Amino acid sequence: MGIPTAPIVTIAFKDLAYSNAAQRGMPHERICFTPHPVWGKSDAQMYAYLEGDDPVTHKPLMPEIIGALTRPLTPDDKKSGTVTPPVGPKMFSGAPDELQDYYMNNGMTDFMPIILPTQEKVDAMLKATSHAPDEPVGKMCPAKGAYPEWSYTVRNVAVNAVMAGCDPSYFPVVLAIAASELPSLSSSTNSFATAAIVNGPIRDKLNMNCGIGAMGPFAQPNATIGRAWTLVSKNCGSCGQPGQTYLGTFGNTCNYNNLIIPENEKDSPWEPFHVQKGFKKEESVVSVFFGMDIRQGQNGPGLGIKPVPHYQEAFAFNFGTCAPLFGGLVVCDPLVAQGLVELGFKTKEPLLEWVWKNSTISVKDAKTTLFGLRFTEANAANLPDDARIPIFRNAGMVNIVVVGGETNPYHMVANMSHRGSVSIDKWT
Amino acid sequence: MNRRKLLSLLGASPALLAGSKLHAAKRQAAASSDGKIEALNPKGTPPPITLIPMAPRLKTLDGKTIYLVSDGFPGADHFLNQIKIWFAKHMPSVTTVYRLKAGALADDDPKLWAEIKAKGNAVIMAIGH
Repeated sequence: MGIPTAPIVTIAFKDLAYSNAAQRGMPHERICFTPHPVWGKSDAQMYAYLEGDDPVTHKPLMPEIIGALTRPLTPDDKKSGTVTPPVGPKMFSGAPDELQDYYMNNGMTDFMPIILPTQEKVDAMLKATSHAPDEPVGKMCPAKGAYPEWSYTVRNVAVNAVMAGCDPSYFPVVLAIAASELPSLSSSTNSFATAAIVNGPIRDKLNMNCGIGAMGPFAQPNATIGRAWTLVSKNCGSCGQPGQTYLGTFGNTCNYNNLIIPENEKDSPWEPFHVQKGFKKEESVVSVFFGMDIRQGQNGPGLGIKPVPHYQEAFAFNFGTCAPLFGGLVVCDPLVAQGLVELGFKTKEPLLEWVWKNSTISVKDAKTTLFGLRFTEANAANLPDDARIPIFRNAGMVNIVVVGGETNPYHMVANMSHRGSVSIDKWT
Repeated sequence: MNRRKLLSLLGASPALLAGSKLHAAKRQAAASSDGKIEALNPKGTPPPITLIPMAPRLKTLDGKTIYLVSDGFPGADHFLNQIKIWFAKHMPSVTTVYRLKAGALADDDPKLWAEIKAKGNAVIMAIGH
């Protein structure tokens, strides 16, 4: 732009601000800092920030801001050219225990022991795909537009798949997830989670668990494919460096291996999720989701009280407290799906439409919900405060998947958006 | 972490560059006879960084127009309003203009940048939270 600029950032994001400025080519950008947070403070408190000190320089803030705009440039400030950030050697050497410590202490793991990615193991992983080791797979960063994107190859993904404990036969699924370019670790101050629905013959081929405990620690492919996603995000997408590329205030246990959901197609009365998204039934596909989290949902109205369960009311009830920022994902046991068919929902579409229309929020609440009016209906701002509007922008933002072992007609609800579907077959 | 260290990294994993007994040079000694093994680096490739010279600074803010730009994070608008009040009280010759950057939080807003370039002299940008 060519106009002097003074960015102001709260102190909680100091490392993020400095590293991001450097990665974007302005390592000496004159960033000024306020105490944290600004959000929620009164006008008087904010003005006191201005009258106080910059918590980094410990000098009065307003003169610092004015100085950022008026202090003459130094030779470093005027530098141009190109810098290539190093990422270390191609190989590390040491005793196995030393290497375990090295990978862990250098931010390359999830702080649990890894399978050391020796050349032999990585080669075995690479044999599970027809794609060349140096073929690009995708680009990833902790938040699109906010960070530079790192690129990665089939070999890079293979190394991480080995580390996660994947059998080579799982590799095409990991590659498809990596090709979605969705990181499992977001930089947001929210502690977001991700999910991947797996459809098609690959589920049976890999013995993925679609039944009892499908989303728990009870099957190697479910566990390690999800773990590989997080390792790829950390190592290939520069995600997950607390303070710089990860700011989630709580963190999220889902991030260890994410929500891997192989759909129970055999026991579902509906067409599989990937068919809804335009794929053929015989194709193997992974569909990735991003959002808040997942929770048990069988506390809604219409369950256990009425003689006939009204699952759709329970879905809408639970989505009523979701964030408009994301969509809704219903995860239901096959018994629930069969019950819904008996209630007249022969296909998913009318159910999704019903749930979308009945998962509502008042305009008043939308106005005071974080980003509420930016993500609900565009004309909502013109409606009276007591009008109710769908919490999600359209029915397409509500999805449903069938999984589980039919031990009870239970369901879960996730405040998550579908962020894309990728063919696994293309990565075999 | 101090800024000097961060700047030296330019986005790479700090520990990878901080020096380690497991540096590549030691690979030469790798052999199964001494119990050592080799393992691959799992890192992808960061993009090259194009250094951008900073815009020339102003000699003074007196009589200048400063755009106060919010990127949309909650609280930024109120905070920038306090800066507007501060300038009115302490540097009344400065004209301040508030703008909310269009689009999502990290989206570009070329229309606003063009307006600032045509009508403004400097920018103060407030970036949550």
